[in-house]
Amino acid sequence: MAVFAVFQTTFLLALLSWRTYQSEALSEPLPLTPESLKVSINSTQQCLHLQWSVHSLAYHQELKMVFQIEISRFNTSNVIWVENYSTTVKWKQVLHWSWESELPLECATHFVRIRSMVDDARIPEPRSWSSWSSWEEVDEQNSLGHGTLFVFPKDKLVEEGSNVTICSISRSYQNNVSCLLEGVQMRGEQLDPNVSAFHLNNVPFIRETGTNIFCTTGRGDGTGTVLFVSKVLEEPRDFSCETPDFKTLHCTWDPGRDTGLPKRQPSQSYTLFESFSGKKILCEHKNWCNWHIAQDSQEMYNFTLTTENYLRKRGVNILFNLTHRVRPMTPFNVVFKNISDTNATMTWQVHSIGNYSTLFCQIELHGEGKVIQQHNVSIKVNGNYLLSELEPDTQYMAQVRCGDANHFWKWSEWIGKNFSTLEAAPSEAPDVWRNVKSEPGYQTVTLFWKPLSKSHANEKILFYNVVIENLDEPSKLQLHSIPAPANGTKLTLDQCSYQIHVTANNSVGTSPASVIVVSGDTGNKEVEEERVNVTEDGFSMSWKPQPGDVTGYVVEWCDHPRDLPCDLQWEKLGPNTTSTVISSDAFTPGVRYNFRIYGISTKRIAYLLEQKTGYSQELAPSDNPQVVMSNLTSHSFTLSWKDYSTESQPGFIRGYHVYLKSKEGQCHPGFEKAILPDDSVSCKYKIYNPEQKTFVVENLQPESFYEFFVTPYTSVGEGPLDAFTKVTTPDEHSHLLIRIILPTVFCVLLIMIICYLNSQWMKEKCYPDIPDPYKSSVLSLIKSKENPRLTIMSVKDCIPDAIEVINKPEGSKIQFLGSRNSLTDTEITQPAYLYLLPTEKNSSGPGPCICFENFTYNQAASNSGCCGHVPVPLEAPSQLGLLTSPENLLKVLENMNSLGEIPAGETTLNYVSQLVLPLSRDKDSLPTDPPVPALCSEYKMQMAIPLGLASPPPNEKSSVSSVTLLDQGEPHH
Amino acid sequence: MLACLCTVLWHLPAVPALNRTGDPGPGPSIQKTYDLTRYLEHQLRSLAGTYLNYLGPPFNEPDFNPPRLGAETLPRATVNLEVWRSLNDKLRLTQNYEAYSHLLCYLRGLNRQAATAELRRSLAHFCTSLQGLLGSIAGVMAALGYPLPQPLPGTEPTWSPDPAHSDFLQKMDDFWLLKELQTWLWRSAKDFNRLKKKMQPPAAAVTLHLEAHGF
Repeated sequence: MAVFAVFQTTFLLALLSWRTYQSEALSEPLPLTPESLKVSINSTQQCLHLQWSVHSLAYHQELKMVFQIEISRFNTSNVIWVENYSTTVKWKQVLHWSWESELPLECATHFVRIRSMVDDARIPEPRSWSSWSSWEEVDEQNSLGHGTLFVFPKDKLVEEGSNVTICSISRSYQNNVSCLLEGVQMRGEQLDPNVSAFHLNNVPFIRETGTNIFCTTGRGDGTGTVLFVSKVLEEPRDFSCETPDFKTLHCTWDPGRDTGLPKRQPSQSYTLFESFSGKKILCEHKNWCNWHIAQDSQEMYNFTLTTENYLRKRGVNILFNLTHRVRPMTPFNVVFKNISDTNATMTWQVHSIGNYSTLFCQIELHGEGKVIQQHNVSIKVNGNYLLSELEPDTQYMAQVRCGDANHFWKWSEWIGKNFSTLEAAPSEAPDVWRNVKSEPGYQTVTLFWKPLSKSHANEKILFYNVVIENLDEPSKLQLHSIPAPANGTKLTLDQCSYQIHVTANNSVGTSPASVIVVSGDTGNKEVEEERVNVTEDGFSMSWKPQPGDVTGYVVEWCDHPRDLPCDLQWEKLGPNTTSTVISSDAFTPGVRYNFRIYGISTKRIAYLLEQKTGYSQELAPSDNPQVVMSNLTSHSFTLSWKDYSTESQPGFIRGYHVYLKSKEGQCHPGFEKAILPDDSVSCKYKIYNPEQKTFVVENLQPESFYEFFVTPYTSVGEGPLDAFTKVTTPDEHSHLLIRIILPTVFCVLLIMIICYLNSQWMKEKCYPDIPDPYKSSVLSLIKSKENPRLTIMSVKDCIPDAIEVINKPEGSKIQFLGSRNSLTDTEITQPAYLYLLPTEKNSSGPGPCICFENFTYNQAASNSGCCGHVPVPLEAPSQLGLLTSPENLLKVLENMNSLGEIPAGETTLNYVSQLVLPLSRDKDSLPTDPPVPALCSEYKMQMAIPLGLASPPPNEKSSVSSVTLLDQGEPHH
Repeated sequence: MLACLCTVLWHLPAVPALNRTGDPGPGPSIQKTYDLTRYLEHQLRSLAGTYLNYLGPPFNEPDFNPPRLGAETLPRATVNLEVWRSLNDKLRLTQNYEAYSHLLCYLRGLNRQAATAELRRSLAHFCTSLQGLLGSIAGVMAALGYPLPQPLPGTEPTWSPDPAHSDFLQKMDDFWLLKELQTWLWRSAKDFNRLKKKMQPPAAAVTLHLEAHGF
């Protein structure tokens, strides 16, 4: 039994040893299968997390293995991922592996299985895969809870530009889910009857509260998810560190954009890590951090600045020597000492950066906003610098900054302070010039001076002192104090020579004197005026150097020569200068400027050397001369414009253009055709001499119409186009006519005057008065001598040779004394004409009559060939109406009535002068009917009319030459 | 904001419970409560526009009408018309008071979550105004002799985000809170208008009242 027992023990030991050997020798493949596979889900990261172990491993055994993992979606046959995972496996080790799904894991059932293979060099080949583990199903849909619609992933955080897949799960019967991204419908992919996927590529950052995705089936339900899109984390820029005092390192950087999302991700954090010391600090600020320098005198630093957020981590690195990164602190305690009118000492202090360190400081002096001086100085702790060449009474600002002199890295901040220099007396004599006007017995000296510049005045100028010294009588001094800001004064001096001293004074003192001498005899000779050249810089002028001793030259001009005062300007030049360029902002185009160049003698007397004139820019003439035309003949006329001033023109007048227009259109010799600005054609004659101000236009045609126009021209152009003056040449013989007509007229007038003077004589000779028988001297003689009853022969006393008396018919009688109505009635049918002599009724032809003709009384009547009475046939009443209207006749009758009845016995025949009727006739009255020619006897009867009818009505439009009213009751004798 | 505070402070003394100087009855305080309601309506219109733009589309779209998933705890303003008409004064005022008490708590929670300072200022301003309205309603109830509803201890409503809530559901809750608040203000205007008419004294009394003022 004991032997059996020993054998049995030995066998078992041998077996164990073999087994052990076999295991150690790994002489054959082992069935190492993954076991205890567990799959879990991390929804936030959309990860499948696997864990398993390999139980078959021996104690403390380590074996390199490969695990093949297969992932299927929806069903096991739909394999979507296969990955080999190599690792070294230890005894009892739990292995982990994760897989991030693009599709949210809640939206699909996933299946996972795994197998393994030994991949260790110690194991001889061939190697083979183990058998697959069983499929592990991962289904989150069961844990979704109630609800009909779900959208995943929830609150996912991605970086801008990422690709994201959204999925929706619908538990309704009809899966027609539509999803909106920020209100815009997305196109989906149907993964399963209940699952849709929406792929978003390159998602943008829209807002910090996330991008909204809302899904609905359109039946009142709806849900969504928020996609948080973070900006991409940037690498910090401009990372640098420096120390002001070897105690702390101040590190700064540009953080770039903030990636924080209020509800999902805080802003990125910054961490500073120093590799030599191994220290690490979390920075509280996003763009700077302070690092405490230890006392171990570490020189080299290797910093890594790391920034990170939930999605990304980035870092930058710098390596430096601490002594090369020293930026001193801002200097302090800046003080100005020993300030004078031109100097000041600036002192300051700096914070120490080490026992033996030297600082390099920069000083800047600012005046009126500009840097005037810049100085560098090396210091240890206390700095000072003497600022010199300063202007008195001026405010300055001086600032200082410092850097490490040994290893310059950066300047400190500036520190500055203002200071003002002290006041001083004016440092320069005022620039003085004069204008002298000599009058008989005295001279008027006007002094001008320019205000001192601020740098020379040194303070506000209070007054100017003018001391006048009579050189002929040196004891005589006059002092004039002129308060500022006057820039001149006027002095009236006698003809002596005077030396004038002008000084400017401020509260501190007096400036050097400016001295000029005026002499009673100016000695200014007449110099010819020259034209001055004009350049872009101004008036360029030069003059001949003076042979004698000249202490300098002065160029004088007026800025506003047309004004009074003309704003006198001057420029003083040295004795060796014989040319200058005068420029002024006041120079205006078209204004003539006169320049006078004076030489200053050693006795400080100014004498005129040259005169120059010119324009800064010439312009065309602004006006045309007033042209006077004279000597007009049939072939020529003369134009003159002598009053035209060439001096006041906006340019040098170079001549004149005479334009002439004629109907012929032909230009006379010397003229040329020219087109005027108004496009009309004219003939132009050019006068090249500006002083020629007359022009004779010749070769004209008599009795022709011409137009002329004269305009001056400068180098720029001619004057404005004005209206042409019109002229017509006279007739060639008109002067002859004048020579004849005038004397003739004169002669006629002379004769007429003579005739008038001798009219009485002429009258007596040519047409003497008809003698009045009543006034005849013969009558008085007869009366006195013979019969006192004897009188002038009357008609009734005459015994005519033959008188034919025709009785007027009864029907034609007019009842003078009857009623007016009856008279009017009869007038209508029977004109109220009374005939001197009764004519035969209805007799239209001329009948025999007797006329007492008196040619003296009625010329017109006599000219008509009749005695004035017109025998009108009764058959022509209309003609009668024209001759005299019934109304006129009625008036006549009324006049008669007013006189009362004329006794028949007394008025058998009345003699009426013919003169009264024609003279009172209205000029505008219609002409009387032509008198019917009547065969009258040689002696025409004068008309007889009652006295009351001597004057016919003034408005009588037509009248007969004479009317004789006869009493019908009386016999016609 | 200053103007709003002044309005609220101006209204507060008008509450009859606080104003012991006279006894004009509940009419003026109801009128002032009505005015305050209309003012808050106007103020909320501006605030809601800003807040919904802050949430982004589709919440700021005019026809957006999501389901009330997480907003079931909000007091509903919508009620059957017949039921509303049949409400007595006490119940009407109590419902208003309770609703605004809850809504004010929710609104303060909303303010705490707002990301921008400007939005927080606007929300705080509105909360102050709403607190004024609540005081005004309490004044009316006191004037009418109705007791204020006492909240049960430990049932203070809160509007803190549920950890299980997705951010989208939280936005939907915010949307519904503003919408419900708008509806409540609209309903309160109707309620107080109805109360105002009901409490209006007869014409003779008005005349006497005016005469008394004349002296």
